[in-house]
This record gives sequence, structure tokens and C-alpha cells, in this order.
Amino acid sequence: MIELKNVTKEFKVGAKDKVVALKDINLHVQKGEIVLLKGPSGSGKSTILSLIAALNKPTIGEVIVDGKRVSKLADNFTSLFRRENIGFIFQRYNLIPSLSAKENVIVPLIPSNPDSNWLEDRLQELFQNFSLESKMEVMVKNLSGGEQQRVAIARALVNNPSIIIADEPTANLDKKLSLEFIEILKKLKNGHNSIIIASHDPLFFDLDFIDRQIDIHNGEIL
Amino acid sequence: MLLTPEIITILALDFIFLFFGTIAFFISIRIARYWDLNSTTPLQYKLEKQSFLVATIIKYIFVVKLPLFLFFIFTANKLSNVIVGAMCAAGVVNSVSFGSAMFFYKILNLYIFGFWLVLNHFDLKNENQPYTRYKFLLYAIGFIFLLVEIYLDIDFFTSLDVSKLVSCCGALFSAASTSSFSFIFTVNKLYFVYIFYAIFVLLMISYIFKNAFVVLSLNLIYVFIAIISLIVFFGTYIYQLPTHHCPFCMLQKNYDYIGYVVYITLYIGTFFGISGAIMSILEKKKEKFYYNVSAIFNVIYAIIISAYPITYYIKHGAWL
Amino acid sequence: MKSKINLFLFDFSVLSIFRRGSKNIFIFFVFTLLIFLLSSVLFISNSIKSELDTTLNALPDITVQRLQAGRAINMPLSRLNKLLAIDGVNAVIPRVWGYYYFANAGANFSVVGIDQFEDQYRDLYTKLCDKFNFDKLKKDSGMLIGSGIDQMLKNNFYQGYFNFVKPDGSLAKVKIDGVFKADTALESNDVIVMPIKKVREIFGMKPDEAVDFVIKVANPSEIPNIARKITEIYPDTRVITKEDLKISYQNLFDYKGGLFLALFVISTFTFFMIIYDKASGVSSDEKREIGILKAVGWTIDDILKEKFYEAFVISFVSFITALCLSMFYVYFLNAPLLRNIFIGYSNLKPAFDLPFSFDFQTFAIIFFLTVPIYIAATIIPSWRVASMDADEVMR
Repeated sequence: MIELKNVTKEFKVGAKDKVVALKDINLHVQKGEIVLLKGPSGSGKSTILSLIAALNKPTIGEVIVDGKRVSKLADNFTSLFRRENIGFIFQRYNLIPSLSAKENVIVPLIPSNPDSNWLEDRLQELFQNFSLESKMEVMVKNLSGGEQQRVAIARALVNNPSIIIADEPTANLDKKLSLEFIEILKKLKNGHNSIIIASHDPLFFDLDFIDRQIDIHNGEIL
Repeated sequence: MLLTPEIITILALDFIFLFFGTIAFFISIRIARYWDLNSTTPLQYKLEKQSFLVATIIKYIFVVKLPLFLFFIFTANKLSNVIVGAMCAAGVVNSVSFGSAMFFYKILNLYIFGFWLVLNHFDLKNENQPYTRYKFLLYAIGFIFLLVEIYLDIDFFTSLDVSKLVSCCGALFSAASTSSFSFIFTVNKLYFVYIFYAIFVLLMISYIFKNAFVVLSLNLIYVFIAIISLIVFFGTYIYQLPTHHCPFCMLQKNYDYIGYVVYITLYIGTFFGISGAIMSILEKKKEKFYYNVSAIFNVIYAIIISAYPITYYIKHGAWL
Repeated sequence: MKSKINLFLFDFSVLSIFRRGSKNIFIFFVFTLLIFLLSSVLFISNSIKSELDTTLNALPDITVQRLQAGRAINMPLSRLNKLLAIDGVNAVIPRVWGYYYFANAGANFSVVGIDQFEDQYRDLYTKLCDKFNFDKLKKDSGMLIGSGIDQMLKNNFYQGYFNFVKPDGSLAKVKIDGVFKADTALESNDVIVMPIKKVREIFGMKPDEAVDFVIKVANPSEIPNIARKITEIYPDTRVITKEDLKISYQNLFDYKGGLFLALFVISTFTFFMIIYDKASGVSSDEKREIGILKAVGWTIDDILKEKFYEAFVISFVSFITALCLSMFYVYFLNAPLLRNIFIGYSNLKPAFDLPFSFDFQTFAIIFFLTVPIYIAATIIPSWRVASMDADEVMR
């Protein structure tokens, strides 16, 4: 369960000025729920995501995930928290272009020094699910857009996260790939994962598997 | 002053330690003063990040310091060829008045820096980082120790004098000498052997019951009795010469560098014992891994050191 | 503390090195060159030291010179018996030798007089006496010359003989009876050996004088005592023991090596700044990559570890490469150019091989002066990178 309590986030701009990105936000996301945050760019959707993933700390208020006050964690522990709980799907994939598909998917697991047999099985499973078996050793920059997207999703899932966060996942995709992504997303809904999507893509607006849609405007929930 | 490549090497690295150590020192002071995990101020955020710089620097210093210390002994051994009268590192180290004190001081620092890493490890295991303030305070003190050590290094190398006649280890480690060690030769050496084995047995028993205070104190006693008994008794069997009591000569090639093995096992054994015991007290939990490593290395030390007199007895049918 | 080595992380680091190849290759070359210079100089000085050691070991236990006004003058042979009478002295051998300056080549020859029936004070001359026909040498007043001199005379168009200029200006023509090569080239390349009588003639020395005495001692630990007694009997003498020589040579070499090293340390710190600068320059790609890593769960520690592996791999590979290169350069190619630093009188000693000598200590010095310094230079830049904000990726 994810909980944002009275969260305000300000960003410093320059020496003195600051921008209020979020104003007194309260949000609950249940286990297994799929939530869509929608609103124009700059409305504060991404900020909410980064607070949940503890990439950022709220100026006021707190963020609690599975009973853990992640907004209070020191930098090192936020990383550990993400490693164990969060799967990230970024806008523009954010893969490392000069590594192979396989190496990209391994990246989140490297610090925990996994057992290599286990890892091999896990990779086989993931690459099969996303029909990428033949592309494992191919450098990411030589893959097609669709393939890159699937690699990015595979990377998000490799650590069996309980929370999947997708930030504008279709912003850089054409219609066909966007629909493909939505198909994959649908399959990910299994009752264990909470999925939080931030997007202003109308394709998401009337999908029945999305449990809740939340409108964000100027840093406030409408 | 001698300008040998070895000395330049040690001084160059001392300089690096000084440079990074100073940076780490100032950050440590700040962290010790302002650390507050509950605060969300930019200052706290900055300190959290800087704490990693300090940790990295300390790790670096420790990891380089360990082999550098061995290199220091190695260098002292080599300088003994140059300095008249010295036969091994003992003569060189003692050619300046503070030599042996400096030597033990260096070892003390290795324990302190090593323990810092253990504390850091435990601190970062817990989300509340319970030891952060203490570890940075400890470093601030450790840095002062480091400064003194660097000062001693420089003073030591500048006051080495090729033309000055120094005592060799034979004179230093004997009852007739006026050095601080000499009192131990006036006592029957077998007492030390009995005490050594008695402490060893107690130590082994303490690992079974794992009472932290007992393990801690026994390990501390063990270091001292191990070194004293090495000088008065076991060493003579390494050299196969009843009058040779030097703790340094065994680091030389003639004795297959066995001294390094002996001292390193003793260091690892007691280090893990001491730091494991301290952490058990702090964590209120028995640190089995540390105790096991400690026990294993302390046993190895005892075996190596006992093997010399025993093989001697088997070969010659008599004690020295 | 139970961290086994994380091979995945290590792999990742090695890959990163290659992925940022152009930046790393520059550092690699500069660093390798630096280590190469350092290790070559240390190898050469070690080599010469070990060659000197063999030479010094062959030296007499004690050498006695007579001094007048602080300068060495010839020693009357009449003093020989009194020295022989000292307890513990096995033999006293008068030496007749000197330096002959050959102006055409601008070089000094060491001219040494030997006598077959006298106790030979150096193995080399004993061997020479066995190898060459000494009677013939004596009969036609010829000489034996070291290979270095042979080369030099040939360059000056002397074939089979050489004309020495005596103190009175007249010439002494001496036939070359043979050329020899000794085990340690350094000591005997510039040596000319001939009968004592001939040496006295060339240098204009009286027949009842020698240049100095060398003394053989039964028990080496008695050397200081005997040396003391000699100065008591003849207060105008200078007594040089083998130990004294060894120490002063070691000091000389440590000093020369040390001087070089002091320069090296300065250049290392320059290099330190270069690495620091290079490692600080983080491209936007790299920034983004760090952001990704942190977002997917890498801690600051993990990234620092990764950076450490990178630094260690680069510096260690440089270290090994440079070590191999300089071994090849010094022991196989005989260190052209560089060895002139150490051998001042190089024009006379053109062709001697540097004997292989490698000890753990040199290895340790080279290691400590390079790898830890490289890694130190990367500490702060790595930390800066590692502690960058992770929300970089969200923007």
C-alpha cells in the first residue's frame, strides 16, 4: 500500500526563487491497484512518481510504502528500497544504449550479486515473455523502438517489484507501439502489483483494467 | 636524512593520507555536529552524501595502510644493511628514541581504522544509522592519531643517521639491556608459556559462551601475552638459538618471512575478536561471524607458534 | 564483511571502461608511460647495484692507503712485514696500479700490475694468469686488455700494440697479448693488465713502492679490530674496509635513485591532477546513466564500488603492462638512453649487459607509487558522480 500524507514539494529555482510542484497532496494506492495520474505536463505527475520511488524527498509531509516511511530514508536506503520494491518504466526507455539487451535487464540486479543459475532462468523467462530471445546479445541502440520498449519493461520487472511506476510511457511511441504497450500493461495486472502510470495520452483514458484515474492540475489533485 | 626510494614512497603516500584525511576530518566534524536523520533540510541531505566520501576515504586509507605497514617493516629491514650495527628492523626502529613506541602506535592505528570500517558496516546495515555520529567522532579522533603517525614517520626518517652506531637486536632484546622490554627476560620464560596457553584455552572457551566482555578482554590480553611469549620463548625456536629474542628478525628472508604469517594471523584473529565483541555489545546481539573468524585465526596462530618448539623437540629430543 | 567479489559488478566496470574507450585510452597510455619510466629507472639502478655488489664482494677485506696532506701517496714496501705481524692477518699484498688518461678517447684506463707468483687479490686476475700464458706476457712485456678497451683502441687505429706516454715524455710501446671479458662487465671493461715491472715503468714509480696494500683477514668479524690496529701502527694511513665501501655505494645509489624519484613524485602529482580532471569531466550521457543506475536501485556505495573497480582495472593493467615493457627494455634491450643517468663514465663502458635482478621490494615500490595514487585521484570525482541526484532521469 502506498500512502502520501499532506505532501508538499518545492523546487528551488536559482538562488532564492522556488516553484511549488505539489500542494498538500493526499493519495492512497491499494495493493494490486492500477492508477492513472493524468494532467498536462508540468502538473506534478512525475513529481508524485519520484516521491513514491523515493528519488526525491517531500518538502513537507511524508510518503509511506508498505508501512515504511520512505521519505525519511537516507539516500543509500532509498536505493535499497527501490531495488527491492520498484520497477521503473521511463519516458524514452532510459536504457543504456551501448550495452546489450541482456546486460540492460541485469543492471538492477548487479548490486545484489545474484546467483548466476537463478539469473539465467529469470532472464530466459523474461525474454521469452517478451519474445526477445533472439535479441539478448544485441546492443540496445541497434534494436527497434518496440524492442527497446520491451527491454525496458523487462528491466522493470526483473526484480519482481511490488510497485511498477511508468512515467509517460507512450510519450515517444507511435500509435501501434502505444497499443502494444497497453496490451503488455494489461497482462501485468495480477492483483499483487500496484501500477502507477503518469500520462496525458488519451489512449489510457478509457481502459477498463485501470482501476482509478486521478486528475492532477498545478500540483493539486482535482 | 636518507633519500631512499622506499622512504620517498612511504612519505608520498603519507602525503596522500594527509590530504584526504584532512578533507574527511572536516566533513566528519560537521557530520558529528549537525547529523539529524529526521531532518529534511538541504544540509542534512548534503551531509548524507558527504558521509560516503568520508567512508570512501577511510576505506582507502585503511586498505593502503595495511600493506604499507608491512612495507614499512620491509624497509626497516633493508635499512638495517645501511645503518651500522643494525642487523634487522629492530635496530633501525630503535635507532631513534621513539622507535618502538612508534611501531606499536602504528599497529594501534591499524586496529582503530579497521574497527571504523566494521562500525561503518553495521551503521549502513540499519536504516536508522545508529552509529553515524559515533563513527564520525571516532574518525575525528583517529585522524589526530593519523596526524601523529605521519609526523612520527617524517621525524623517524629524517633522524635516521647512517653514521650513528645503533644496537642490534641481540642487545635490545636481552635481560642486560636497559630498554623497556628487558624486564620480561628477568622472569622465568616458562611462566609466559604457561600464561599464553592458559589464556588461549580460556579464549577458546569464551568463544563457546560468547560473552562479549569476556571475549573482548581475553583478546586484548591475548595480543600482549602472544607477543611477549613470542619474544621470550617461541621466537628462540624459530631461530633455533636460545639467545635470539628478536621479534623482527623472523620477518627476514632467512626465516622464510614466517614473521609476516605469524603477525598477520595474530592481527586478524584478535582484530575480529575485539571488533566482534564491541559490536556485540553495541548491537546487543552475538556476532557469530566475527567470533568464528577470530577463533579460526587465533587457533592458526597458536598452531604455527607451537609447531616450532614441538618439531624442535622431536628432532633433537631436548628443549632449547 | 562477508562480501564475496561481485563478478557482475566487475564485468559491468570492465564494460564501462571499454564503452568510454577514448577517454580511458589516453589515461592508460600516459599512466603506462609514467610507470614504465619509474620501473625502468629502478630496474637499472637495481641491476647496477647487484653488479656492484658482486664487484664489491670480490674486493679485498681491507685496503690500506698512505696519506700525506690528505692525499694518497705511494706506500713503501718496507711496511709490509709489520702489517703481516698483526694477529688475524692472513696476507698483505702490495698493489701497483693506476689510471692512465688516454687523451684521444678522453677516457681513463685502469692499469693493473700483476705477478703470477704473488697472492692474487682478485679472482679475475687469478683466472687471467691461468688462462693466458703469463711467462710470454712477462717476456715480451705485453698486456691483456678488457673488451671495452679493445674496442676503443681499434677505434683509434691501434692494432696489436699501444704507446703509453711515460712521465718523462718518452714512449713505452706495449704489445697486446690478449683480450678478456669478465663476469661482471662493469668492473673490468676498462682494465689493462700487465706485469708489475711494466706498470712501474709507465707510471714512473720507484721499485720499493706500491700504490696501496690489500689485506686478507682470516675472520671477517675481526676486520674492525685489525683496522684499528693498523691505524695505531701507522697513523698516516687510511684504512678502508669492504663494509665501508658497500655502505657508501648503497648510499650513492639510493641517492641517485632518490633524486630521480623525487622528480617522479612531482610528475605523479601532475598526473594526479590530470586524472582528477579527466574523471571530473562527466558527460551528459554519463550523468543520465548514473541517474538510471540509482533509479533502478544502485546505492552510492554500489556506484563507488563500480568506479573503484574501473580505476583499479585501468591502473593495474597499466602497471602490469608497464612492468613487462620495462623488463623487456632494460634486460633485453639493455636500456638505451636511460642507463646513462646512472653510469657517468659511459663512454668507456659502452657494452655491458645489465644483469637480471628483481626483488619484491622494487615491485612494491613501483606498485605503491602508482596504483594507490591513481585510485586516490579518482576518489573525489567518483564520489561526485555517485552522489548526483537520481531524479535526473525523471526530467
